[in-house]
Amino acid sequence: MKFMEKGKIEDLLIDYIDGKLTEADRLLVEKELLINEKTYKLYDQLKEVMQLMNQSSTLQPSAKLKADFDSFLKSESKPVKETKTIFFQPSFYRVAAAVALLIVGGGVVFTISNEYAKQQAELKAMQKEVKETKLMLMAMLDNQQSASQRVLGANVAYKMERTDDEIVRALVKAMNEDENSNVRLAALDALRKFYHQDHVRKTLIASMATQKDPIVQIALIRLLAEMKEKEIVRELQRITTDEEELPAVKDEAHAALHQLV
Amino acid sequence: MKKGIIIALALIITIAVQAQEFKIAKSTGRLEIKEVNHIMIEGYSGNEIVFTSKNHDREKDERAKGLRAVSSLGLEDNTGMGLSVIDKGGIIEVQQLKKMDGPEIVIKVPKGVIVSYSHSSPYGDDVEFNNVEGEIEVSTVHNDVKLNNVTGPMTVKTVHGDIEGSLNASMKNPISIVSVHGHVDIALPVGTKANLKLGTVYGEIFMDPDFKIEIEKSTSSNMIKVSSDNVSGKINGGGLDITLSSTHNNVYLRKK
Repeated sequence: MKFMEKGKIEDLLIDYIDGKLTEADRLLVEKELLINEKTYKLYDQLKEVMQLMNQSSTLQPSAKLKADFDSFLKSESKPVKETKTIFFQPSFYRVAAAVALLIVGGGVVFTISNEYAKQQAELKAMQKEVKETKLMLMAMLDNQQSASQRVLGANVAYKMERTDDEIVRALVKAMNEDENSNVRLAALDALRKFYHQDHVRKTLIASMATQKDPIVQIALIRLLAEMKEKEIVRELQRITTDEEELPAVKDEAHAALHQLV
Repeated sequence: MKKGIIIALALIITIAVQAQEFKIAKSTGRLEIKEVNHIMIEGYSGNEIVFTSKNHDREKDERAKGLRAVSSLGLEDNTGMGLSVIDKGGIIEVQQLKKMDGPEIVIKVPKGVIVSYSHSSPYGDDVEFNNVEGEIEVSTVHNDVKLNNVTGPMTVKTVHGDIEGSLNASMKNPISIVSVHGHVDIALPVGTKANLKLGTVYGEIFMDPDFKIEIEKSTSSNMIKVSSDNVSGKINGGGLDITLSSTHNNVYLRKK
């Protein structure tokens, strides 16, 4: 049995000690133990270990050992437990997947919400800027001391990308009522830019009947004629026959009638 | 002895000139001049508004002595030169008593005062602004407007008058100059940074070739151009808003 591998001998010896071997194998092992000193030695060692193992359940660890172990257990218990659950409980995979999903999902939500918050902040800043511009514009349009400031206000509106009702109202008021023609013209210029907005269009058409400033009247007639607004024909006819209108305004109305009719 | 006579003469002249002068201590606020036919406004760095008359000396009229000039508008000649000047809380209102003709007035105005001139009768003359560094508002029906070395900001409008001017390099935003029937002829320093809007309907637009204008094409709007001509664009990268327009006449932009 010299050729026998150590591992196989060990197995045989363990089974021998446990008394689990077949008769033939038992004889073989005994014979080997008699002739081979090394195997016997191994047998001795194994027997000792196995006896110890069998006894271990009844062995009481010394108090110090227990304390040490307890403290060790305490310090290590959590990770050990976790590693155990992570690798050996099948249900954990589901939990892990859920947790992973939560983390990833949370991350995505966080990023999205972060992005959203950023956009919100940007939007707010933009809105604030627009609001400030608007306030500035309204204040300028309302400056009774300086016509230049009112022109500037209309110019600010002209440069804006979009307007709201309040700005349009202020511009319409400036166009219809400002005592200064340059302010009226600047307001009309700004409104012309937002012509495609329906209410702007309507207010411009409505202004035809009330506008008294010849320069603005001419500019307004030209604009509405360019836009092919047939609605103004009646008003144009009134202007051409009105004694009070300036000849230049009448001429413009005639020209516009030619274009429209 | 000769020297003494000269000094005495100089004194008399000053007294005589002072007699035709009217002053208001004011370096801010608004000066509203209405329907004054012959007028020239000069900017200066003082702190009072000074009115002088070139020709109208009531002292010379013996018959008017002890009498009071009255007008249908209820105006009072409180300057001794046929001019009513009233301070209405920050706004100084200037009107002349005569409807036609009237005194030839020169007003010296401090920098911080806004000058507003409006005139609608057909009895007027050119209105001239020289070296005014404050804000100018002009609205006339018949009068020509002359602007020499002014900075603005300004809003100038006339129906029948021509507008001619040369603007100071230290211009202030905005500059809006429009005429219906007259021409608009303005000189600017070549280096002016501005967003120009030049417009005419029946006239033409001329500008010095030294102004390099980046014309802004109106691609966003769907406007149909019929016969009017509007040129918008930046010179020297843009800056001040300068509007020059004449409906029935030409617009000239020259270099100063």
